[in-house]
Amino acid sequence: MSVLAGKELRIVGFLCNWCSYGGADTAGTARAVQPTDLRIIRVPCSGRVNPLFVLKALMNGADGVLVSGCHPRDCHYSSGNFYARRRLELLKQFLPVIGIDPERFEYTWVSASEGQRWKDVVTNFTARIHALGPAPRWEDVPARYDMPVELLESLRPLGCGEHPALPELKQAIKDALAQGLEGVLGWKKGFDAIHAEPVFMTTPEEVDSLIWGPFNVQNLAVFLPQYKGRKIGVVVKGCDSKGVVELLSEGLISRDEVQIFGMGCNGTVNLSRILAKLPEGAAIESCACRGNKITVTAGGQTIEMTMAEVAQDKCRLCTKPNAVISDAFAGTPTTEPEAPQDGRLPGLRFLDSLSLEERMGFWKGQMERCIACHACRGACPMCVCRDHCVSDSRDPEWVTQEDTVQQKLFFQLIHAQHLAGRCTGCTECERACPMDIPVFALKQQFGRTIQKIFSYGAGLDVNATPPLLTYQVEETTIKERDLA
Amino acid sequence: MSEHTCGCSKNPYLPEVATVLEVITESPTIKSFRVRFDNEEAWERFTYRPGQVGQLSVFGVGESTFVINTPPSCREYIQFSVMRAGEVTSAIHKLHPGDQVGVRAPLGNSFPCEQWKGKNIVFVGGGIGMAPIRTIMLHVMEHASDYGKLSLLYGAKSPEDMAYKADLPAWLESDVLHTTLTIDREAPNWPHRVGMIPTVLKELAPSPDNSIAVLCGPPIMIKFTLAAFRELGFKDENIVTTLERRMKCGIGICGRCNLGGKYVCLDGPVFTQAQLNELPPEM
Amino acid sequence: MSSLLFATPAELTAWLAGLASGQRVLVPCQEGPSVVYRPRTAEQLSAAGVNALLRRSTSSPKQAVLPQCETLVAFKSVKDEQDPSKVTTTVENPCKAEPTVLFGCRPCDARGFVVLDRPYLHGPFKDPYYGARREATTIVTQACPSVFATCFCHWVGSHPADGEGSDILFTAVEGGFVLDILTEKGKALVEGAAFADGSDKAEAVAAAHKATAEALAPAPNLSEAAAKIAARFTDTAFWTRETVKCLSCGACTYLCPTCQCFTITDEGSQLNGRRLRSWDSCMTPLFTLETSGHNPRPDKSQRMRNRVSHKFSFYPERYDGFFSCVGCGRCVISCPVSLDIRHMVTAAMEGMEGKKPAEAPAAPAEKTAETPKAPADAPAAPKTPAKSKSKKR
Repeated sequence: MSVLAGKELRIVGFLCNWCSYGGADTAGTARAVQPTDLRIIRVPCSGRVNPLFVLKALMNGADGVLVSGCHPRDCHYSSGNFYARRRLELLKQFLPVIGIDPERFEYTWVSASEGQRWKDVVTNFTARIHALGPAPRWEDVPARYDMPVELLESLRPLGCGEHPALPELKQAIKDALAQGLEGVLGWKKGFDAIHAEPVFMTTPEEVDSLIWGPFNVQNLAVFLPQYKGRKIGVVVKGCDSKGVVELLSEGLISRDEVQIFGMGCNGTVNLSRILAKLPEGAAIESCACRGNKITVTAGGQTIEMTMAEVAQDKCRLCTKPNAVISDAFAGTPTTEPEAPQDGRLPGLRFLDSLSLEERMGFWKGQMERCIACHACRGACPMCVCRDHCVSDSRDPEWVTQEDTVQQKLFFQLIHAQHLAGRCTGCTECERACPMDIPVFALKQQFGRTIQKIFSYGAGLDVNATPPLLTYQVEETTIKERDLA
Repeated sequence: MSEHTCGCSKNPYLPEVATVLEVITESPTIKSFRVRFDNEEAWERFTYRPGQVGQLSVFGVGESTFVINTPPSCREYIQFSVMRAGEVTSAIHKLHPGDQVGVRAPLGNSFPCEQWKGKNIVFVGGGIGMAPIRTIMLHVMEHASDYGKLSLLYGAKSPEDMAYKADLPAWLESDVLHTTLTIDREAPNWPHRVGMIPTVLKELAPSPDNSIAVLCGPPIMIKFTLAAFRELGFKDENIVTTLERRMKCGIGICGRCNLGGKYVCLDGPVFTQAQLNELPPEM
Repeated sequence: MSSLLFATPAELTAWLAGLASGQRVLVPCQEGPSVVYRPRTAEQLSAAGVNALLRRSTSSPKQAVLPQCETLVAFKSVKDEQDPSKVTTTVENPCKAEPTVLFGCRPCDARGFVVLDRPYLHGPFKDPYYGARREATTIVTQACPSVFATCFCHWVGSHPADGEGSDILFTAVEGGFVLDILTEKGKALVEGAAFADGSDKAEAVAAAHKATAEALAPAPNLSEAAAKIAARFTDTAFWTRETVKCLSCGACTYLCPTCQCFTITDEGSQLNGRRLRSWDSCMTPLFTLETSGHNPRPDKSQRMRNRVSHKFSFYPERYDGFFSCVGCGRCVISCPVSLDIRHMVTAAMEGMEGKKPAEAPAAPAEKTAETPKAPADAPAAPKTPAKSKSKKR
C-alpha cells in the first residue's frame, strides 16, 4: 500500500455497509472518475464508528478521515446514524485541542443510489485534504514545555477557616452510624498538616478525626462503586457531589445504599502551590487557617499565603460549592455565584491561545514526561471500568506498551472520549498526576463543546439523560455539513 | 544466537527460533506441539531436566510458559501441550508443521527425582496437569529399575478431554507402571473408572510407606487431592507439585510470579507441599 | 578509594559540558512543575546555572538504566519465494548501551541501582540490557543539601550523604562543591578536569553532611521489620483497613527508584516486529491475572500487601536482609490520597512478633536465607497471626 509520493495522501474512509458503501459501488459501476486517495473500511453502520477509530487514524499518520453513513431517518438500524451524528460532531469540535485541524475530519451521508453524490463527496473531501497538505507528524513538531502559571480570579471569596457547622456534620454522621450505616467516607489529617487523606469512618472516634477545609482535596465519590451492596455514607464537597449524581444516574451505585453528607465548601488548595512557597522539601511543622489566610511553618520559617494564591483552579470558577444532592446538609449553604461567561481553566485557556501546530508541540512536550502510571484513571470517579479498562486490552489494542508521545497521548484521548458527557469537572485526573501534566484540558474541551451544543452539564441531575445516549431527529444545534 | 553488541555472554531474553515438526490434537482444547531448534548447534547443546519449563512464543503475539513434557532422553524434539485459553495460546493453536516459533528454555527447577531412587512413586494428573506429570513419569519409567512401584492416576472431565491418547495404551499395558484412568461422569464405552480424582485415589489407597506423591492439576483438584494424600498418611515433604502463575521473564526478574520471597519461574515451579507450607498462602 | 576535589559552580558546569561532547549527560530539568532527567548538550549545560541542575527529580532516575520501554528482541522474517506461506525468521539482539553520566541524583536514587542490581545482575540469570547500561553509566550524586518531609532513607540503612551506588558524591560547600571520587569509574570521569584539590574542605563537607542528617526525625528500629511484616501477611483485616483509601493507581510503583517489575509484550508481526519490555506495576490487577481468569491478588489490599512485603520482607529474605526501599519518599509525596508507606510499615510491625522460621528444608535453587520468614505452618487454612491487636486504632 505504498502512497504515491506527493500525489496521494492517506485518507481513511469509514463507510456504512447499507448506504455509503453501496453508493461507492454505484459510483464505481457507473465508472465515475474519482480520486484514489481514500482507503475504505466498511462498517455495519455509521453508529459503529467509535470516535476512537478516527482519533487512532489521525494520531497515526492519516491525513484525513471521512465517515459516511445513511441519511438521517434512513438508517438500516433506524437510529444508528442519529447517535453517530452527535458523537462525530463532538469529535470534530474536539480535534483542535490536540492540534489536529478539524477540517481533516468530516462526516456525511450518502445513500446507495447516490453514485454521483459519492463521487462529489470523495472528490471534494480529497481536494480539501490536498489543500491542507500532509498532516504534521508528531516526530517533526517541536516540543514545547512552557505553560504560564495563571491564577484566575475566583467568582466568590474563598476561605479556609474552621467551618462552624463541622460539629453538626460529625453529629449527623455519628447518628447515621448508630442507625446502622456501615461506615462513612470522609477525610482526616494525613502525614502532615497540609495533607488530608480519605478515611472510612466506622466508629464515633473516627468521626471525631473528620476534618473539613481547604485540604480536603480528594473526590471521595471515586470509592463508592466498590462498596456496592453495602450501606455506607460519603461526605462531599459540591464538586464531589456531582460525581455521586453521575454515578447514580448511570446506575453504578444505588440511592438507597449511599447516604450523602454535605456542607458548604469555601474552596480547596492546590498543594503544589503551597509547597512551592515553602523551602524545598521542608517538613511542615504547623499550619493555621484563618479567614482566607493559610499560615504554614516549615523548615523554621513561617510563611503566610492566601487562598487567592493557592486555591485549586476549579474552586476559583466553582458555581456549585454546596452538595447538589444530599441527605444531610450541615450549616448554611455557601452563596452560589452565577455561572461565569468563561469557564475555562488555565490549561484550556493556554491551549486556545496557541496555533494548531503549537498545540501539538504542547502535548508532545507535556506527554513526554508521562510515566504511564495512569493515576489519572485511578483517581477519576467516572472511570468505572476499573480493572477492565479498554486501554489495557490487547484485543482491541488501542495503545501499545511503547512509551512514545502518541501512545501516551492516545491513552488520554481514550480517557477524555469515555468521559464525554460524563465528566463532572472535578479535575482529580490532573491533581493525581505525579508529573503535573494538565490532562484535564482534554476533558474540558469535550465539556465545553457539550455545553455549547447540548446545553448539558454532567452531574447535576440524577434523572437527566446524557446527550450521547440520546438524539433528536432534527438537531437544531448541529450544522449539517454537505460535502457534495 | 545472533550478534551481540553489548559484551554480555548470554542473553536470556533471546529466543531460539524453532520449527514446529508435528501438531497433535489431544482434546477439543488441547494440542501438543513438537518443536526443534533451527540452529543444530544450539539443539545439540540443549539439555534440560524433567519438570523444567520453556517460554514458547509466536512472534508478534507473545510468549507463554509451558512445561516441556517430553523426557530429556528424547533428542528429536521437545513437546509442549497447550490448552487454548488466551491470546498467545490461541495463536499457538493456529500453528502448523513448518511454522516457526520462539523458544526460551530450559527455565525453572525440576523434579528432584534423584532423591526418589528406591522409592515408590504415585503420579496424579488432572486435565492439562498431566503435562508435567508426563515428562517426569516417562523419565522415571526409563529408569524404572532405580525406583520402587510406579503408579499413575490420570483423570479428565470426559474421554474427549483426556490428552495423550496415543500414549495411553502403552501406559495401561506397561510392566513398570500401574495406570488408572478416571473421568468425572459416566460416558458410553468407557472401560475405566468413573469418579473424581480424590475419591478414586482414596479407593486405590496407595501406601505412604517409602512413597512419593507427584500431583498436578487445576487448583480445586490439587486442594482435594492433597487432602486425600494427607488422609492416606503421606507426609507433606513427600508430596510434590508444580505451580502455575502468570509469568513473563521466566528468570526471576519481572516480579509477578512471586509467592512470598520465592519466584515460581526461578525457584519453582516444582515445590514439595512442605516447602509451600513455608510460603505465604497466596494462591 | 576516595579523594576530594573542589569545583566552583562554573567549573562544575564547564566540566559537565565537556563530558557531554563524548557521552549522554542526564541532568535534572524542570519541565512544567515537575523535574525530570533529560539528556543535555554541551551548549545547554554551559549555559545552565548550576542551581537548575541540583533539583531533586519528581520521578526517579531509574530510567537511565531501566527505561520505561525498550526493545528486547527484534524479529524479521522473509517469505519463501516458492511457498509464501513459509517464512524464515531471524531474531536480533538490540542490546546496546550509550556511555552515560547521570548527574545530580540523590544518595537514595543511587542506592536504588544497588537494589536493582541484585535481581537484575546477581541472580542466576543476568539481564544484559540492564547490565550493559549500568556498566556504561557513571553516577554523580549530590549529597542532600536538605531533607524533604517525606525522606526516610535513615530508616532503611542509609543517610543523606551515603555514597553507596555512586561513583562520585559531591557536596555543596561555601564557594562551590567538593567532589568525593569513590570509584575508578568516577576517577576516569574527572580525569583532565581542572579541579583544585579539596582535601582541605573535608571538615566543611562533614559539617554539611552532619547538618542535613540532623534535620531528619529519629527513625524507628526496623531490624525486625522483615519478620514482623511476614507475620502480618495473613492479617487480611489489617491490609484491608490500611488500603481503604488506596486508588490502586500504581503511581507509587512507577515513581519508585527500586520497583523492578516489568512486562513483556510483542508488537508488530512475525514479518517485522519487536518484543518490548516495559515497566509494569504490582498495583494493577492485570499484573497477576492468569489466562484462566484466576487471580492470586484480585483485591487492592492484596496488591498493596505484596508491594509493602516485597520491599520490607520478601526482598530482605532473598537478599541478605537488605530492604528494597531506599526511603526516597516519592511514593508518599506523590500519592493522590497521601497513603504513607512509612505508616504502613510501622503499623504492620506494631504488636507483631517476628517468628523464627520453622525447621524446613531449603527450597530448591535457593540460597539459604538467614533472615526469618513467614510463619504459616497450617497451609490449608490460612491462619490468623498470633496476635491480632490493632483491629481498631
